[in-house]
Amino acid sequence: MRDASEQWPSDAELLRRHVAGDDQAFGELFRRHRDRLWAVALRTVCDQEEAADALQDAMVSAFRRAADFRGESAVTTWLHRIVVNAALDRLRRRAARPAVPAGDEQAFEALAGSTGDPAQATDTRLDVDAALRILPPQQRAALVVVDMLGFSVADAAVILDISPGTVKSRCARARARLLPHVAHLRGNRSASQSVSPAQGGDV
Amino acid sequence: MRGQTTHLDTEVLAEFDAGLITGRRGARIAAHLAGCDRCRAWRDELAAVSAVLAAVPAQAMPDGVAQRLDQVLAAEVRHRNDPERARLDRPGHPASGARRAAHRGLRLVPLRVLAPAAAVVLAGAGYGLSQLAGGAGPQAASSSVAAGPANVSSPANAAAGRAAVPAVLPSSKGPAAQPQLMPKVSFSFVTSQTNFLPGTLGPQAEAALRAAESAPATRAAPAAVMTCVRNVVGSAHLLLVERARYQGQAATVIVLRTNQGELAKVAGANCSAGPSQPLATATVP
Repeated sequence: MRDASEQWPSDAELLRRHVAGDDQAFGELFRRHRDRLWAVALRTVCDQEEAADALQDAMVSAFRRAADFRGESAVTTWLHRIVVNAALDRLRRRAARPAVPAGDEQAFEALAGSTGDPAQATDTRLDVDAALRILPPQQRAALVVVDMLGFSVADAAVILDISPGTVKSRCARARARLLPHVAHLRGNRSASQSVSPAQGGDV
Repeated sequence: MRGQTTHLDTEVLAEFDAGLITGRRGARIAAHLAGCDRCRAWRDELAAVSAVLAAVPAQAMPDGVAQRLDQVLAAEVRHRNDPERARLDRPGHPASGARRAAHRGLRLVPLRVLAPAAAVVLAGAGYGLSQLAGGAGPQAASSSVAAGPANVSSPANAAAGRAAVPAVLPSSKGPAAQPQLMPKVSFSFVTSQTNFLPGTLGPQAEAALRAAESAPATRAAPAAVMTCVRNVVGSAHLLLVERARYQGQAATVIVLRTNQGELAKVAGANCSAGPSQPLATATVP
């Protein structure tokens, strides 16, 4: 795991430079985190096109609102928060408008799909992606941030702008809901058969 | 798959594991777990969910998305450095596209939806689209506008998908009339993932024009698209044809210049519906 805080200039420094008028700083900051930001956007909205739109919204928003960053959280947390908000916004808007048949998608798929996609592990990812779709967006966002991106509950609470308790309950409900759809993937992942280290109760 | 019995509900288990259930109820659950193999097994499965999720490899951002974001970012930087924009800028603005347009009273006229996929055609004070004779093959299509009188269709231009042709203006309003945005008379054909939206079509079209200036076009305009463009643009001057999206649907965005200024029109993908009614029209600042 790369630790952005150890890079120089630091995220916070880049943001300061951006606010001070440095034309390159924001780009450097964004590129530094964009794969993770892409992941959170993609998994929250479950659609490449929407994810790209959401990430674009978020990037522009962060660019313009950088001066609002007060340093109460890590810059990455702040960035993720903006991305998650943009993603959930997109979902709200999508839900608000009637479904329309997808159009000339080949052209765009040709673009979007042109990136290398390591074949292995793809199956599992696709299964997980499909499973994630069944979750309500708010639960999905929480689960993505905590279980997939590895944020602490406290950071997730900042990113999602909800209380830590709500983070926990959304994740819990999401895990319960995913269980039937994800259980079969355990073998693929060679997850240890005797998982839960903290065996509840005293057997 | 919940047991009808007193077995623990999966959700309850999950909440218990998350530390959300304490006190007497928590103690009851712990007691049940202690004596119930089945619920313990479920609990293990539940714990595995997080493990599976954590192990899923992240998908790298597709190149197309990265390029698009780079372009948008470059446009943002340019806008920030633009004094006029700085003057007009106001905080709290919607985060999309260029903003000057928004301050100039963007008129947006949604028309009927022609096709599931729309195309945005941006035309300016260049050639009349009528000169885009349908003869243009797929690969020459992009340049065919400029290629009209000048008969320019060098392989290089066609390959670039951009009509980098010097201004040869048969019509009255020349490129000279065009300020900073489009120094060239030629129009660009671009394929992007930009999602044009009703509220920001004008500013987005402006940004697209700027981006098209600096970014290499991705491919040549198919003849079918150009036929549509001709229909949409009529005698106006074409600035940009961008194969993108409009409200999430594939679309062709056409930017053109008219007597009233620059207009952005949205048509279906490949103008598939054929007809000339655009999905939407907006003035470009």
